[in-house]
Amino acid sequence: MGRVPSVSGSRWRAILVAGAGLCVLACPAFAADAPEKGLLTVYANLDLAAADAPRAWLDDGGTGKARFGNPDGKSLRVRPYVTEMGVVLQPEFGWSLSGLVSAVAQQGQHKTIDLNEAYLRWRPLPLGGVRVNLRAGIFWPPVSLEHGGGEWRVNDTITPSAINSWIGEEVKVAGVEAGFTTMIGEHRLSLTAAAFGLNDTSGTLLTFRGWALHDEKATLFSYQPLPVTNAFMRDAQAPKTRPMIDLDHHAGWYAKLAWAPPGPFELQYFHYDNRGDPTAFDDGLQWGWRTRFDHLGAILDIDPRTRLVAQAVDGTTIMGFTFGPGTRRWVDMRYRSAFLLATRKVTMGAVTGTVSGRIEAFDTRNRGSAVHGDDDETGWAATAAARWPLFRYATVLAEALRIDSRRDARLRESVAPRQHQNILRLTLRLRGVVGD
Amino acid sequence: MCDAPARTATILAIWCAIALPSHARAADLEVQVRAANGAPIPGAVVAVHMIGQPTPRPRPGASYAIDQQDIQFHPFVTTVPIGASVMFMNHDPVRHHVYSFSPARKFELKLASRQQNQSVLFDKAGIVPLGCNIHDNMIAYIDVVDTPWAKTADANGIVLLRGIPAGAVTVSVWHPYLRAPGNSLARTVTLSDSATHVERFITPMRTPPRDPGSGY
Repeated sequence: MGRVPSVSGSRWRAILVAGAGLCVLACPAFAADAPEKGLLTVYANLDLAAADAPRAWLDDGGTGKARFGNPDGKSLRVRPYVTEMGVVLQPEFGWSLSGLVSAVAQQGQHKTIDLNEAYLRWRPLPLGGVRVNLRAGIFWPPVSLEHGGGEWRVNDTITPSAINSWIGEEVKVAGVEAGFTTMIGEHRLSLTAAAFGLNDTSGTLLTFRGWALHDEKATLFSYQPLPVTNAFMRDAQAPKTRPMIDLDHHAGWYAKLAWAPPGPFELQYFHYDNRGDPTAFDDGLQWGWRTRFDHLGAILDIDPRTRLVAQAVDGTTIMGFTFGPGTRRWVDMRYRSAFLLATRKVTMGAVTGTVSGRIEAFDTRNRGSAVHGDDDETGWAATAAARWPLFRYATVLAEALRIDSRRDARLRESVAPRQHQNILRLTLRLRGVVGD
Repeated sequence: MCDAPARTATILAIWCAIALPSHARAADLEVQVRAANGAPIPGAVVAVHMIGQPTPRPRPGASYAIDQQDIQFHPFVTTVPIGASVMFMNHDPVRHHVYSFSPARKFELKLASRQQNQSVLFDKAGIVPLGCNIHDNMIAYIDVVDTPWAKTADANGIVLLRGIPAGAVTVSVWHPYLRAPGNSLARTVTLSDSATHVERFITPMRTPPRDPGSGY
């Protein structure tokens, strides 16, 4: 089983010191009210995390579903981490053309620093009442209703939902996207469509590991570890998957339709098809996966302080050859998940934070000729979180996460199929913006 | 030849004959604008036009301004007379690209961050919706009026207009979310020179789509 190389403690300390120094140096130049966007954003996430068994999926391909686990037993252990540090450059070229380049160092990744997103965006004045947005480069498709900002951070919790964890780790594209928004009567309609490549392995993690809840993001050259697969797939599939790779030169596509009727409500439909060739593979045994999904998202502002967000995904992925006429491909998997997130603003004095609660369910069903029902899984998770701005450049978040899941394939590592995981995290987000 | 005191008295008498009766015929009008549920509608624009005689052309006041602060326009609705220049003042630490495609006034302003102010002349009556090309959630309206008797309703949905000549007038109410053709309602009112007239407009309002930039 391959191990994801981790950055040593001394190296992380050096990174932390350098990052803190950069923040201090930049502070005098920071804009007075810490705007969301500027020429340069520097940020660091410092974590205290406590988790019980099993071992995290990121830690040598364990069977746990969270970012942190506990290989030694059931008791919670508190450990410090620098989970993420990064810089985001957002230059403006005139008044309609802008760019974004985001580089990130993440705990658990072998690359000290890697490219997160990089794209150009063209946004001319509305044409005939139609707002046009074009962007080209490397970016996440517009699925997540939990992420925001140039660094693609989770807004109100530390850990995103299973759906958006998967988007973050395995659904990132290099492509060209066009968006059109207009008012039709009292309704706002928005259509976004894209053609993309570099996302042929999407579906690998979801099949072999299943759903997970974590804030580890795919970067341009990153690898993600896989748990122990069955004997057949162990020979066919590399023990790590590289999310951003092109194997078949087929362009995929996605489209999104958003509808905002009069009132505090918005509904979104999104369809994704990477059009991957399921028989394509390279020398490193990275495979093409044909991954498709439908996604529904909804936002309801109950009042000016309370928001409900819901997302649901239903998709399929196939990979490999067939064993003969009439048989299915090696992998033929259906995956589903849905969550409901409630967030309420809380004000004390001049400071406004949020409290959030989220409940979700997920499952996968395999009917392939090489990957069978023992890789199926069923699970649910509940999250409670609070976000509180400390001062201009610092926000603290606290989160309790409970994940219950069943997956018979855990028996391959002598782990009980059913696992109840508890993860507590306290995150300090340091963030500064320099320049307009 | 007449002496100076006599001439002064004559002028005074003529002035009184013209001005005082006219002044005595002026009326005050208070308009209350409320939604169907009774909630006041701040930002509604109330305007009065004469019937049977031309409405005097308004004279622009000293200054009109629309601020950009916290990624919003302030105020949401501004009433200005024809010929007014409006100063756009950016207090935000970010850039704004203000535009309008209204037939009443097409323009765009590129405002760098913080105190980069530019003014725009509005010389044609009509509604001027404002947007920001960088921030979709920034929306505001300017109502350019051709009457000296027009104001934006206060937080209680009330407008008080003074010195309107007595007689028949048209009172109109406009708001971007008012549910009526042209987002406007109008009625004829006869003003006499008695005490302040009070008119109430109860109107259904439409709900706009949710603000795409309303962040948490």
